[in-house]
Amino acid sequence: MKNLFIIFTFLIFVTSNSAYSDEKVAEGAVCKDEVVVSVNGLVCDFCARALEKTFGKKDEVSGVSVDLDNGQVVIALKDGQTMENSLITKLITDSGYNISSFDKGC
Amino acid sequence: MRYITIILIALTVMPDVAQARPVSYPGGWTIMQTNDTNSNNLHVHYSPTAKYSVGYKGEYHRDEQWQFHGMQLNYLAKRINKPKSQANFYLKSAVGAAYSDYGQLNSETEAAGFAGIAMDWETRRYFTSYENRLTYAGDIEKSFAQKARVGIAPYIGDYGDLHTWLMLEVDHSPKRDDEVVYTPMVRFFKGVYLFEAGVSSNEDILFNAIIRF
Repeated sequence: MKNLFIIFTFLIFVTSNSAYSDEKVAEGAVCKDEVVVSVNGLVCDFCARALEKTFGKKDEVSGVSVDLDNGQVVIALKDGQTMENSLITKLITDSGYNISSFDKGC
Repeated sequence: MRYITIILIALTVMPDVAQARPVSYPGGWTIMQTNDTNSNNLHVHYSPTAKYSVGYKGEYHRDEQWQFHGMQLNYLAKRINKPKSQANFYLKSAVGAAYSDYGQLNSETEAAGFAGIAMDWETRRYFTSYENRLTYAGDIEKSFAQKARVGIAPYIGDYGDLHTWLMLEVDHSPKRDDEVVYTPMVRFFKGVYLFEAGVSSNEDILFNAIIRF
């Protein structure tokens, strides 16, 4: 019974990690002028304000909107501008949150 | 009393659990003005990173008639972000000076400080928090106090809407005549402004205001 429990726990761990990997998007790929990022921990207006301020300071960003209902941040980019996944991840992580997925429309 | 102790202990050990966010986003300023059953407080802090904040802390303890002025450091030791929830565990400490204008301690000044933990867990519907602190101010004050809070939002609004919370706070200060005080309150939260108002079981008025920018 104990061994069965260990195997079951291991399988859950492996499955959850591989599922997370599948959500990752190719580095740097930008297919339209906005990025929709699903963010974990977005539960209040202070959280929303944090991300709005963080992305609002970036030169390549023309606008930011936060959807608390869906836990998403929509980052609108200026014409011809791109924003790499690694930079988006860093900005969100440095603000105290973490990403569950990107949608760059491609 | 026994049940309150059990509830406080339960809140302390809840693994996913953290209070009113003493650390902001990188470059963020926060002004917190709080007035509870024991004291009037002002905390103005700046967060260089999302992990810690530092700033001025001032307190006036009305019954004991002493005040504290110092620098407070808040450290976010752990945050757990989930798709629909967030939990935080903070360490808080301050050093400064205490000044008493009460009885035999009239005009006495002592080096002072406090340290404690704070934790919260919240979704967009539910809120729980717990915090405690040990205070040392020489002959003026040596005490332990803790408080816990639960809350529920009767409706869910999106960013920028007026959010309303109904909350109950339990304050436990073993040294005080009113050892346990209950304060039902209402919280209004819109954008970067947060206000709380309530009346405690010993008929003190609670009023808190927080602005983050």
